[in-house]
Amino acid sequence: MNTILALAGVVIKELYRRKDFYVLFVLTAVITLLMGSVSFFHDTGIVRYVKEIALLLIWIAALVIAIGTTARQIPAERENRTIFPLLAKPVTRGQVIVGKFAGCWLACGLALMVFYVFFGVVSGSREHYWPVLSFFQAFWLQWVMLGIVVAFVLLGSVVFAAPSSNATISFIVVLGILLLGGHLNQVALQQPEPLRSIVYGVYFLIPHLEWYDVRDLIVYDWNRVGWLDCALATLYAATYAGLLLFGAWLVFRRKPLNV
Amino acid sequence: MKKHGPYLILILLLAACFSLATVLQQRASAWTKRAQSDNVLKVLFGDGRRFFADGFFRQADVSFHSGFYPTIFDQARASQDTRHLTAKEGEPAAEEHEKQFNFLGRPRDWIERFGRHFAVTSHTHLEGKKEREILPWLKMSAELDPQKIETYTVSAYWLRDLGKVKEAEEFLREGLRNNPDSYEILFELGRLYSENYHDPARARNVWELALRRWSEQEAAGKKPDLRELDRTAVYLSHLEEKEGNLARALELLQLAKKASPTPAALQPQIDELKQRLTKRAPSIAPKTP
Amino acid sequence: METIVETRNLRVEYRAQDSGSGRKVAVKDLNLIVRAGEVFGFLGPNGAGKTTTMNVLLGFVNATSGAAFLFGVDVREPIARQRIGYLPELTYYYKFLTAEELLRFYARIFGIPQAQADQRIDALLKLVELDHARKRPIKTYSKGMQQRVGLAQALINNPDLLILDEPTSGLDPLGRMKVREIIQRLKNEGKTVFFSSHELGEVETVCDRVAIINQGELKVEGRVAELVEKHHANLERIFLNIIGYQTQAST
Repeated sequence: MNTILALAGVVIKELYRRKDFYVLFVLTAVITLLMGSVSFFHDTGIVRYVKEIALLLIWIAALVIAIGTTARQIPAERENRTIFPLLAKPVTRGQVIVGKFAGCWLACGLALMVFYVFFGVVSGSREHYWPVLSFFQAFWLQWVMLGIVVAFVLLGSVVFAAPSSNATISFIVVLGILLLGGHLNQVALQQPEPLRSIVYGVYFLIPHLEWYDVRDLIVYDWNRVGWLDCALATLYAATYAGLLLFGAWLVFRRKPLNV
Repeated sequence: MKKHGPYLILILLLAACFSLATVLQQRASAWTKRAQSDNVLKVLFGDGRRFFADGFFRQADVSFHSGFYPTIFDQARASQDTRHLTAKEGEPAAEEHEKQFNFLGRPRDWIERFGRHFAVTSHTHLEGKKEREILPWLKMSAELDPQKIETYTVSAYWLRDLGKVKEAEEFLREGLRNNPDSYEILFELGRLYSENYHDPARARNVWELALRRWSEQEAAGKKPDLRELDRTAVYLSHLEEKEGNLARALELLQLAKKASPTPAALQPQIDELKQRLTKRAPSIAPKTP
Repeated sequence: METIVETRNLRVEYRAQDSGSGRKVAVKDLNLIVRAGEVFGFLGPNGAGKTTTMNVLLGFVNATSGAAFLFGVDVREPIARQRIGYLPELTYYYKFLTAEELLRFYARIFGIPQAQADQRIDALLKLVELDHARKRPIKTYSKGMQQRVGLAQALINNPDLLILDEPTSGLDPLGRMKVREIIQRLKNEGKTVFFSSHELGEVETVCDRVAIINQGELKVEGRVAELVEKHHANLERIFLNIIGYQTQAST
């Protein structure tokens, strides 16, 4: 556990010492504040569009941080040769995978927390009310979803040599699932066999990341998701992340590393 | 001299640039207008801005429904019509919309069933002054595509409803500047003068202009919307009737009847007007359009 | 005397880069023993199999057949590396960390308690003369400084076996002297040092025993003094004879 936490600590240090997070946060903050400062038809009470834009930017920034940070972990270790002094210590490859996952996921969580605090301040300053539990639920679900994304990208990073190709493929897959994943069953029904079975199979196999996107519930002030459903979604994410990490370990443990 | 040389050259160049700028300024403003580079959105997006404008208009509709909206996979089943945005409860457009927007259906599997716990699944419309939340999207849509007429008419409807009559008039006038031939915008402007400013003279002028624009477009073979002709003629007819110009009112109702999808609904009104005209001046025969 | 490093019929094969050549044998049935307290030199020309052997000992690469042991533990077990320190030839460390943070990270991996780690970090940074730069990120270090950070991290757990891959490569004469001093000091403390080098003069000075490997096969092994006496030549001449290099004078 100590080793895993030590590895995670290095990843987190890397995140806040690189400039990516600050650039994304400043961009999000500037765009949100700019949009919030615009007066539409002399009505200062309009708030939902600001929430909508802010949450969209938060989602984009979080995905960029998650995929960008994770995609370069193992390849950068190999390219920079830092993997050798690391694995020369009593560290297993499984611990490296789990440590990197923990670091990237925790780093995403920290970044997300900052974004959501900013969102809460901006939204509350206009609406004059803070649905803290709803915001926390939205944060939690997004963070848990990022766990699946991080695990997926980590698997990609041991399969693909170049971080750029891994990042591109991961972005496409994640965006594809977010936009289309929930509708593949409809698409499947419109296809002839055997394509129908294949598409339906894919529909059941993919992790349904779209469940974790509760932006509409926040923006339009709907009731929160039930806590039991939240817990089940967390369990689903943990299972998927575990499966993907196991796959990453299976691939990584066999990879020869030549000094 | 050697030490100051580069600085002197720099100053000379700056002076030359400044002089050139003052000379070219007037010519440049003509170029930019022709190249449409006076608007940063046109430069950035080109014609693709219309795609984004449609997206923002759709976002206004999503906002109107508080997030309950069909995806592209449901669009085939749900109607593309956006008349519900300005239709009151009980009107045919609103009732049609209620039927068409029932796109969810029963969940097909456990994934869909579970997923609905995290999504908006109730069909609601904004009300109680919350309709103002759709205005930013409409404004952004108009910025990106000033030729999208619907944006102006829907915005004006809701601005009037929210008590922002002056803003509605300004926005419609902006729409007219960008679309001088638009009978739809003229109709909305007329409604504003009639219902909000209670200025029948201005309303009449604007509605008559709308009818003229409609006729011009028909003559040019552009196939203008018959529903708009029907609507404008009916509203103008009611105005004329209120002002006591029954002959003109009758003329307009008969015009509306030709364009109406339900001409039989107008017949009783036409008959009533004819009766009233006959009572008032039986010798005056109505003009045929 | 305790056997620290042992290989038994170690064989490592790779798929050849050029097509049609089948598999390339990097290490052929290597049998090697290094005992406690020795300074052992592992020599060979480029491509001889030295690095591959080290990769197997460190667990970077799996052997095709045969076995390798550190302190009697199979090298595939991570615990085998609990008592070793490794200094790679090319030293790259996390550039965004300071020297102190890097050493603290590795100390945590070894499970060294905080107080003990603090003491050891202070001592090591003084030893490698990086105390003045301990708070600076490694990306601001010169090559020599990075090499010294490497040495410090290799010693963080007070290892019983130090594996060094070309430890003096790229160092100036002063740096090389310091490395030799550290190796001598470790030897005096009863530690075992296993290193590969091309600096035969240095090897002759520092090592107790050497092994020379060529084309994956162990060619000669023994105490430096014994080999010199047996072949009536210095280590460099022995090395060149083994790899089949004939000077113009001898042809």
